[in-house]
Amino acid sequence: MRREPPRTLADYAPLAFPAIMLVVFFVIPFSTMIAVSFFRRQQGGFYTPDFVLDNYARFLSAFFGGVLGFSLMLAVMVAVICVSIGFPFTYLLTKASRRAQIVWLVCILSVLSLSEVIIGFAWSTLFSRTAGITNLLVAVGLMAEPRALLPGFGAVLTGMVYQALPYTILVLYPSLVRLDPTLLEAARTLGASPLRGFFNIIVPAQRNTIVATLIMVFVFALGCYLLPQILGRPQHWTLSVLITDQAIYQSNMPFAAAMAVFLVLISLALVGLTLLIGGTGRQHHDA
Amino acid sequence: MAQDLLNRKQNMSGLSIEGVSKTFGTFRAVDDITLHVPHGTFVCMLGPSGCGKTTLLRMIAGLEEPSAGRIVIDGEDITPVPTHKRNLGMVFQSLALFPHLTVGENIAYPLRIRGVARAQQRQRVEELLALIHLPGFADRPVSKLSGGQRQRVAIARALALSPRLFLLDEPLSALDAKLREAMQVELRQLQERLGITTIVVTHDQREAMTMADLVVVMGEGRIRQAASPIEIYRRPADAFVAGFIGSTNLLPVEVDRAGRAVVLGQAIPDLALPAGMSRGLVSIRPEDVRLQPPGDGAIRGRVSFIRDLGGTIETFVEAGGSTIVAVTTPRERDDIAAGTEIGVILPAEACVVLEE
Amino acid sequence: MRKLHETRLSRRAVLAAGVAGAGTLAMPSILRAQDRSLKVGVYGGYFKDSFDANIFPEFTKATGIAVESVAEPTGEAWLVQLQQAARAGQAPADLSMMSQTSTLKGQETELWTPLDPGKIRNFDDLLPQFVAKYPDGRVAGIGAVAWYITLVTNTDVYPEAPESWAALWDPANRDRLGLLALVSNSFLLEVTAKTFMGGTDALDTEEGQLAAFEKLAEVKPNVRLWYRDEAQFEQALKSGEIPMGQYYHDVTGLAAADGFPVRSTFPKEGGIQDSGNWVLSRASDKVEEAHIFVDFMSQPEIQGLMSRKVGTAPTLKRDKLDLTDEEFAAVSSEIEPIIPRYDLYTSKSDWLNQKWTEMIVG
Repeated sequence: MRREPPRTLADYAPLAFPAIMLVVFFVIPFSTMIAVSFFRRQQGGFYTPDFVLDNYARFLSAFFGGVLGFSLMLAVMVAVICVSIGFPFTYLLTKASRRAQIVWLVCILSVLSLSEVIIGFAWSTLFSRTAGITNLLVAVGLMAEPRALLPGFGAVLTGMVYQALPYTILVLYPSLVRLDPTLLEAARTLGASPLRGFFNIIVPAQRNTIVATLIMVFVFALGCYLLPQILGRPQHWTLSVLITDQAIYQSNMPFAAAMAVFLVLISLALVGLTLLIGGTGRQHHDA
Repeated sequence: MAQDLLNRKQNMSGLSIEGVSKTFGTFRAVDDITLHVPHGTFVCMLGPSGCGKTTLLRMIAGLEEPSAGRIVIDGEDITPVPTHKRNLGMVFQSLALFPHLTVGENIAYPLRIRGVARAQQRQRVEELLALIHLPGFADRPVSKLSGGQRQRVAIARALALSPRLFLLDEPLSALDAKLREAMQVELRQLQERLGITTIVVTHDQREAMTMADLVVVMGEGRIRQAASPIEIYRRPADAFVAGFIGSTNLLPVEVDRAGRAVVLGQAIPDLALPAGMSRGLVSIRPEDVRLQPPGDGAIRGRVSFIRDLGGTIETFVEAGGSTIVAVTTPRERDDIAAGTEIGVILPAEACVVLEE
Repeated sequence: MRKLHETRLSRRAVLAAGVAGAGTLAMPSILRAQDRSLKVGVYGGYFKDSFDANIFPEFTKATGIAVESVAEPTGEAWLVQLQQAARAGQAPADLSMMSQTSTLKGQETELWTPLDPGKIRNFDDLLPQFVAKYPDGRVAGIGAVAWYITLVTNTDVYPEAPESWAALWDPANRDRLGLLALVSNSFLLEVTAKTFMGGTDALDTEEGQLAAFEKLAEVKPNVRLWYRDEAQFEQALKSGEIPMGQYYHDVTGLAAADGFPVRSTFPKEGGIQDSGNWVLSRASDKVEEAHIFVDFMSQPEIQGLMSRKVGTAPTLKRDKLDLTDEEFAAVSSEIEPIIPRYDLYTSKSDWLNQKWTEMIVG
């Protein structure tokens, strides 16, 4: 079938709706943010339209560099852990009976309905000295006395992985459920143990899905701003926490916007890099 | 017991399926199947969908665990052996080519798993590609292959390790009719060259007739008949087999007071029903049915339709509430038109009497 | 009861922090149709509900002036709306409840009509911190609501109440404190200055501010939680997970009354007193009604009513009030409070915020 190139304006009409949506929900807000990031901050909450680089200049410091680095590292770790857990889990889930799958998916969806606040509070209780899981360990004699597992990096990581894991599974599920089950069976008939077949057939065959999921979880984790506050110490606060502080508490929209623009650009650069590496990997096989 | 042992010793070489069953919940997919396949035999398991043939094949491969019975290859009970240690080659209906690997990497996969040196891998891949008439294809991505080429690659991959058993699950079903027929011949020739015990699951009786040494017709989880293609065709064991293999006329037969076998009111001379059987079915292939002008000794009927296929002519005759189909070549053709009164002769030697 | 406290708590925290969230436009609720009326902006949620239920009906009964209460969006957003409306000669509300920082910002553009002390009978009995003045002495606003942030402890962990804010610095309290996370709502610079530097005047200069930061940095090893969400700290305080910190005086008192092992202590340096003012938009022509309202609100009986019903600290001197000692202690103290340096949060907010963030994160 050959596609006719569009000739008249009307041929482009089907594009109008998505184009409008893109403009309304992405281009306008993002452009506004970029514009505001160049506005002049007035102490105490206002800003005036202008073109100044102060907001970016303020960001370019070792302090914010450190926070940005930590945020990216945290998001990468969350993404890697989520996919490492979520991929085998989802794969096994697709092998389970239909009934079991439905039960699991409903449970996972119900975790999705929990807000970040509730997740944060639930984990802060679970990790607390007075009511937390260490009391169970004490009860069964594994620990001498209960202790607090928060605030700390481990608590932040756990909370964020818990929050992102349902998304990870739901993103992986459609792709894995469509995966040809005979791929692994073929590997087994060819002499691969199930585990080996999983790692050198299923995982590479799903590479695009895995990369896409990593990116999604990474971006999701980058936007997380409540859990680091609730479960971490200040050194575990991400750039998103500081952006929220600036936008909400300091009313410094231009600076918040500048930080957000920076964060978006860095994320896009990382995503681009990932795709580039992924792309060359695939070309190797196509060659 | 002693007899069992003796049988087993005789059957050391080849594949033995001994009393194998598989139940899913209350559903008996495979129901107590026993079958011996001598080494080097080409077997086609034939049956309608849901007859248990694929389940049986998957049990041989170790992809399903039998609920009862055992599977023995060359005297070794492999029932507890996991798939990846069974040393078999299998071609799946989906082909299951690994999408992220090239043709060469797909074929070399079992070699890689066993740590075969790269140079040897390369050499074996070239050999196999030559065997399947795709030399020089090693570096192509599998996504760039045609259906027939993918088919061959799947076969080459399954044969890479010279397995002791070659299993194919509906391997040709995705191909168009012409290519399928060509591949059937090619597959049979390949098997003859390699002398490998091969089991193909199919629902296409033509495929089975073309390739198999041994056809196993399955229905409802059981073996209905296991025999050579020609015997299955000529001497179907029951109405199910007769109906499934080729086309056949199944007509009611009964014994009259004089002890003659009567079909549609006409006694068939020299046709005898087994002792104690007073009524049954008679199966006769269309090419064995003879047509002549109405008269004594012939079943009276009326031609209802003629299908002239060029190479053969099918004549449909309505007689006594049944339709009898006769196939003739144009050379033999009498000048018959639809509506003609006609006599049908069923030669006793071509009739197979079956239970109802 | 619990729920009430939590709602009110977060509402107040929002006021204290000067949050500029997205504002929803006010839904006016008319209490009674009258010839004379006044539109009063009150922080939406707990404050508006309490005022609508307990205070405004009393005012209308006493003066015959109907009150149309307007739910204010939080913090800066309302100030911006008032400013823009005033430029067009409009007043979305005549009187508004306004945070101290926003009051100062409004003063810069002469947004507030000066109030006449002569028309407020109890003017002389107001505590000085509840009279916001223009630099030239005109009255820009009169205290509306006030509350204390004090030193709170878990009584199981601390059988003896601490006496001084210096307890926060005590090495024995390592990893035991919960403090507010923002420079502009914790007021810990002021606490540092008052406790160790002779008073909040020490913050007049940048050297003084840096010295306060330096001293405050010593507290860091003791801090387990820098909180933005009060519920998180309150829960941890009650359980003893985080047994010491800064928190709202009246809410802590209510939790103690409910049987939780917590106490609120006014350290000898004083509790932190945060507050909001009544200010009159210059676009309003209800100057007379506004004065009647502020006069009414500043009466001892009404201040007492607010302390009992809304939980606010009275704006009048102790001896003018009809509150029992117990009632007074539930919302306030006669120890001289630490008054936040609101001026700093208008003139140097970004610098302070940056230093603060670097201090606690770094």
